[in-house]
Amino acid sequence: MGEAMILFDNVTKVYGRDTVALERVDLEIEAGEFVFLVGASGSGKSTIMRLILKEVEPTAGSISVNGTKLASIPRRRVPHHRRNIGCVFQDFKLLPNKTAAENVAYAMEVTGQRRRSIRIKVPQILSLVGLAEKSEKYPHELSGGQQQRVSIARAFVSQPPILIADEPTGNLDPDTSMDIMQLLDRIHRIGTTVVVATHDRDMVNALQKRVVALEDGRVVRDKVKGAYADEV
Amino acid sequence: MRFNLGFSLREALKNMRLNPLMSITSVVTTFICLLVLGVGLLVSAHVEGVVSAVRQDVSVEAFFLQDASQEEMDRVRETVEGYPEVSEVTYVSGEEAVERFRQTFSERPDIVSDLGDDFLPASLQIQLEDPGAADDVARRLEGERSVVENIDYPQRTIERLDAVTSYVIWGLHGATALFLVASVLLISNTIRLSIFARRQEIEVMKLVGASDGFVRTPFLFEGLAQGLVGGGLAAAAVLWLNSLFVEWSGTALPFVPISVTAVNSLFVLGVLLLAGASIGVLGSFLSMRRFLKI
Repeated sequence: MGEAMILFDNVTKVYGRDTVALERVDLEIEAGEFVFLVGASGSGKSTIMRLILKEVEPTAGSISVNGTKLASIPRRRVPHHRRNIGCVFQDFKLLPNKTAAENVAYAMEVTGQRRRSIRIKVPQILSLVGLAEKSEKYPHELSGGQQQRVSIARAFVSQPPILIADEPTGNLDPDTSMDIMQLLDRIHRIGTTVVVATHDRDMVNALQKRVVALEDGRVVRDKVKGAYADEV
Repeated sequence: MRFNLGFSLREALKNMRLNPLMSITSVVTTFICLLVLGVGLLVSAHVEGVVSAVRQDVSVEAFFLQDASQEEMDRVRETVEGYPEVSEVTYVSGEEAVERFRQTFSERPDIVSDLGDDFLPASLQIQLEDPGAADDVARRLEGERSVVENIDYPQRTIERLDAVTSYVIWGLHGATALFLVASVLLISNTIRLSIFARRQEIEVMKLVGASDGFVRTPFLFEGLAQGLVGGGLAAAAVLWLNSLFVEWSGTALPFVPISVTAVNSLFVLGVLLLAGASIGVLGSFLSMRRFLKI
């Protein structure tokens, strides 16, 4: 057993007055694990992602990421916390007025890295995701799969210990989705803790990773080498 | 994290190049707000200029009764010349006064034609060593009431002028202050629109771990640049309007001592640039706050 990279201890999240998004969730993700969070829309997958990023605060319970209790991080230290976590989104969230290379460079500039190392690392990471030739293209000039590769490159360029992906293949066709998942798996094999929220059944079944299933804000199933749903 | 000035500046420039319409809107809004502010400055500067010009030119006029004899008038003149506060006394006879009046209104024969030659009284024009002594001289002249009908001196005009101008100037200052507040709100709203258009960008910046300062600084530079351009344009417009006004007043208002020097160009430029910069930066700062809460 490795140490816990992400630890949810009896976490409840209620939005507004009575919209329960998560209810008494216990979840432990170890360093170097690859975990699928599965479940229908509204089951609480995205809430878990947002809690990990400290984008929202839990209503009850406590969360630790990389050994630090999130409740103890003051607001102004939140940006620092987020630099431990690479983020990949369903809608890519690339900056539209920056080229692929600039989008990746931005994530490094944000963390105050030297321009020299940015110039070296950006082309490296872009060729790693197979976009060396597209580095000067703007997001609207790229296909969905290519945009998602850029966003993965951005998430991973500073080599954070954790990478979280919220429906990374939600907008992509099956073949492209498989490429993206294999890219995430490669990042996992380098030693990164990867958490992927998805309802892409085929993908989950194909990769045979740990699967945490959510339903109405509760963890209903947690299998080490699982499929999307229990075979009947 | 070290402060990355170069990066912020590059980002600000790039944003302005990519959103020229928004930049123009902000600049124009700032320009209009500061133009009004500048015109306010102009008006109060000229009002103060006129008041101080009038103040400089302090003399006391004593008008004689129509039936005062020449001997009496000469005696009063000699008495007045003996006052220590007085530097010079000029006697203006009734005929001279009428002659001056005719000259002044030479372009309006309709006013002058019906008047006789003796409708104005003779007077003494008394120049003073010290403008502040006008009151004392006037009080002494009260002793000559047997021949002096009326004593007029600018102290009274100044007092009346002061009463009016202090209202005008306070009003202008109040309006200016209100206008500044309105400008900040208006401009922060304009900037908010431009930021709103880029809220997803800000969200992404925050999610990849940018600190508030890192996200905000390029926007502040943008606000600063737009404010300075708006303020500079407003200053140019105000100074141009001023030169037009002074030129116009020279012919249209020949009796009003309006001078170009009443308005200090550097002061106007400085005030408007400073106001533009503050409005731009403050406006950006205020409108950023909402979007940084991610």
